[in-house]
Amino acid sequence: MTAPTAPPASSDPPGVDDEAPIDLTDHVAPVVADEPPTPRSWKGAGRWAVAMSLAIVIFGGLMLMKGVNPVEAYRSMIQSTFSNSDAFGGIFVRATPIMLAALAVSVPARAGLINVGGEGQLIIGGVAGAGVSLAAGGSLPAPVVLLLMALGAMAAGAAWSGIAAGLRLGFGINEAVTTLLLNYVAVDVMLYLIYASWKDKNGSGQPASAPLPVGQRLALLGTSRVHIGIIIALVAAVICWLVLRRTSWGFRLSVVGGNPEAARRSGLRVNSLVLSAMLVGGALAGLGGLTQLAGAEFKLRPGFCATYGYLGFLASWLGRHRPLQVAVAALVLSAIAIGGDSLQIDSNLPGATVNILIALVLLAAFAAQRGAKESS
Amino acid sequence: MSSLALEVLTGAVTGGTAILYAASGETISERAGVVNLGTEGNMLVGALAAYAVASQTGNPWAGVAAAGVAGGLLAFVFAWFVIDRKANQLATGLLVLFLALGLTSLFGGSYVGAQVKALTAWKIPLLSKIPWVGTILFNHDPLTYLSFVLVPAIWWLLFRSRWGVLLRAAGERSEVLSTYGHRVAPLRYLAVVAGGVLGGIGGAHISIAYANAWFENMIQGRGFIAVAVVIFAARQPFRVMAGAWLFGAALALSPALQARGYGINQFALDALPYLLTIVVLVVLGRRGVAEAPEELKKVFETAGN
Amino acid sequence: MPKRRSSLLALVLALSLIAAACGKNTGSTAASGGGGGGGASSAPGKGSTAVGFIFVGPKSDFGYNQAAYDGAKAVEKAYPDLKVLTAENVPEDDNATRVMEGMIAKGAKIIFATSYGHLDAAMKVAAAHPDVAVVQQGNFIKGTIPANAGTYFGTVYEPVYLAGIAAGKATKSNKLGYVYAFPIPQTISNINAFTLGAQSVNPKAQTLVVNTSNWCDPSKQADAAKSLLSQGVDVITQHQDCTGTITKAAEAAGAMVVGYHADASSLAPKGWLTGSEWAWADLYTDIVKTALAGSFTGSKYNANFRVGFKDGKNPFVQSKYGPSVDAATQALIAKAKTLISTTGSPFAGPVIAQDGTVLWAKGVVPAYAEIETKNTVFVKGVVGQIPKS
Repeated sequence: MTAPTAPPASSDPPGVDDEAPIDLTDHVAPVVADEPPTPRSWKGAGRWAVAMSLAIVIFGGLMLMKGVNPVEAYRSMIQSTFSNSDAFGGIFVRATPIMLAALAVSVPARAGLINVGGEGQLIIGGVAGAGVSLAAGGSLPAPVVLLLMALGAMAAGAAWSGIAAGLRLGFGINEAVTTLLLNYVAVDVMLYLIYASWKDKNGSGQPASAPLPVGQRLALLGTSRVHIGIIIALVAAVICWLVLRRTSWGFRLSVVGGNPEAARRSGLRVNSLVLSAMLVGGALAGLGGLTQLAGAEFKLRPGFCATYGYLGFLASWLGRHRPLQVAVAALVLSAIAIGGDSLQIDSNLPGATVNILIALVLLAAFAAQRGAKESS
Repeated sequence: MSSLALEVLTGAVTGGTAILYAASGETISERAGVVNLGTEGNMLVGALAAYAVASQTGNPWAGVAAAGVAGGLLAFVFAWFVIDRKANQLATGLLVLFLALGLTSLFGGSYVGAQVKALTAWKIPLLSKIPWVGTILFNHDPLTYLSFVLVPAIWWLLFRSRWGVLLRAAGERSEVLSTYGHRVAPLRYLAVVAGGVLGGIGGAHISIAYANAWFENMIQGRGFIAVAVVIFAARQPFRVMAGAWLFGAALALSPALQARGYGINQFALDALPYLLTIVVLVVLGRRGVAEAPEELKKVFETAGN
Repeated sequence: MPKRRSSLLALVLALSLIAAACGKNTGSTAASGGGGGGGASSAPGKGSTAVGFIFVGPKSDFGYNQAAYDGAKAVEKAYPDLKVLTAENVPEDDNATRVMEGMIAKGAKIIFATSYGHLDAAMKVAAAHPDVAVVQQGNFIKGTIPANAGTYFGTVYEPVYLAGIAAGKATKSNKLGYVYAFPIPQTISNINAFTLGAQSVNPKAQTLVVNTSNWCDPSKQADAAKSLLSQGVDVITQHQDCTGTITKAAEAAGAMVVGYHADASSLAPKGWLTGSEWAWADLYTDIVKTALAGSFTGSKYNANFRVGFKDGKNPFVQSKYGPSVDAATQALIAKAKTLISTTGSPFAGPVIAQDGTVLWAKGVVPAYAEIETKNTVFVKGVVGQIPKS
């Protein structure tokens, strides 16, 4: 269903060189093209509506079981999320690392790779950013340091995913497995540092790195609490979209993702494409870690970016790995998470309750998505 | 020093048991071609169900049963999405975990202060007298002993029973299975739900045998460790046991050292099992053994949707 | 194609919404006061219609957060007209700021940030809303204290010192065990006070310490208790947010227990010695009363407020005694309590650190403010090291 069936080998022109993959168009079509609007997609939309309503009704039922009026709860959830500028801004602050971590899944996915390591790549990005700040802190002007931090974070994120890419290319170990394992290692690297040499000497005694000096923090948008990270993330989404769609690199990635064997036979350098896709993904997540560090938290602490990588993974699947849809998916997920504040403050439900709503909405989306495809 | 080794090895078994249950369950599931990243969620619902039922009935075994049912139910939800609706397994597993986090928080609050009759350690006569081995293996709670039996049972089931052949066929070459007139989906359902039941019992071990408490999010990542253990063990039941105890030992080492007055940064230790897992993958990969089941490979290698 | 166009549209929409959200003032990018922040002239907290409480853990943890939640409930009872807003599991990062802002948007002009690590966020909110009184539980504001902020806490280590006396008397192995989460001044003060209390009646008493790097990970707590017990510890106490596991583990092993945060004597009917528990109701209610009256600024709560046995009404009180604490020990504790309520202190000199440095010389009785700032190392008699920094 996913991998398009390879056309007969004879249709592959022999010795097509790297730069001229035009003959492979037919391999690519199933991955890239969008279906035209047909009555079927209306049916799909109907299925979406049913699935979403079901999710909302089920969650409402659960709230009812806890003695909360669901209509009232939903109403105040929407109201307090969208009428309060801090909550509204919080959506974008929360969405920034999730969006970048999601793109870190989408780009490798184009080449048929599964990056489950957004979590670890975010954290390593944050660690590298903090490290650059510590190393270069006083000696350079703050904007230069910030730029170096961003570059360091991207390099570190790329290196982290690069390990997984190297293990795949060198030893044939699946990247989904190694990126998952490396998530734990990344957490331990960060904890090791903030418990020891990076622990803030002037801090409270809790494990955390020293807060970034004000000059090394991302600027805020106007008077809001939203930092410019969201702009970076949205621009990254648009660039990913353009690059995957318009450049030959993006095209070749989808060839590899569509049918690696055919791609190899037609002379594409599959290995370097796989590596580059993973590196770009890791760099995006590394940048996400930096935006969280320099935009929202200013220091590393236990729980830094926790679950954001996994939420990004979900956002990428929700948006079918298409950068623009993925960006929207990240915003939607964040909006629901921020709406969870109201479930606590207004409806007096436990804080983790919102996880149920996130899960139900996404499960509904998955069910409807797959259903739509089956009918096409 | 020898007391340190003894303590860490004993702690490895105690702390590794919950991981062992969950990882054994995940092994069955993966053998049938389904990976469940939501193992942590199965453990979480199991922990709460065990605690709630044990405190209501006063019978810890009723709690264990409830944990199995709860873990199985959650796994069934997961199975429906990935088998019937063919949703992506990795993403769905994470979602089921989020679901479990929320549900146990919503319904678990009232059990935090509750009392239960716990499953307590029971020294096996004679065997527990053996120096070293007796302390390490034969002075535990009954769920731990049960895990000693469970591992060979799963091995037998997977590799010696007819059911195991079919189940592994569902994981290796499902189309062949269909050709011979067997239905793949029921086999997978069975494997995934069995995995959930064992994950739930793993959670029960934490809440009513080990930590004797229920708190929100109390599994604290041990379900993810279980998934790593399965990778480490290349889905071989006995290696799963070794892996669970290895990770258990890593967890037990830090407090044991601290209680002896050593200040250590435990996180270097914590990372070791994961790095070791990667090394194992490299070594096994070189030898061409420890291949994942074909259907599982498809999951890991199918990024499109 | 239309699908892609629609998602591009959604993105443009999102971007323009951001622009709209920050369209109020695009002048500076400095983190100056955002939000609504009504008349800056009104006294912080005055005329508030709601009070907000944020907790770092679950409200039902049978420990720290539950005690704070009970305090919030007491405020609700004392002021039926006030809406009491609570949020649990609020991480100690920027999320805390947003949640507090959400409460302010609901009319709260009095905010309690109840976790040690909530201080940064609390100070941010205080700076943005001069009309909101923001108090933080347990940390210290360094430098100038804004007119609408403050911290408060009990002198936790005083009842812990008294419990140490019970432990020192009860131990047969002269080894006491202490499970703690993070090496912050609060926990170190407690461990030191517990050790000093035990040593005041039993010079041979030692305290073995294990940290779990987590306020609530029951399995790690079980491991820690087990390790301590295997070292011959026969009295166990803890500084964790959730406390059930260690109490039960000690009771099951036949060891004695000193409680923390809550009265857990029912979990350890045999081994329970005594403990310390929170009683926030009076202090919370008084802070709310002060702020509502418009007299927060300049009050004792507009400071790093610490209340202890000396000034009465320590919100951290001694738990009841277990069956094995005899009358003689109770009398000893009563005597010590009288002393530290008048001229003494758990940290009355000489107090010597592990490495031999003198923290307080003989004859010195430190003031409350000085105690937590100097308790960054373990005293002699504590076996174990603070995780390296």
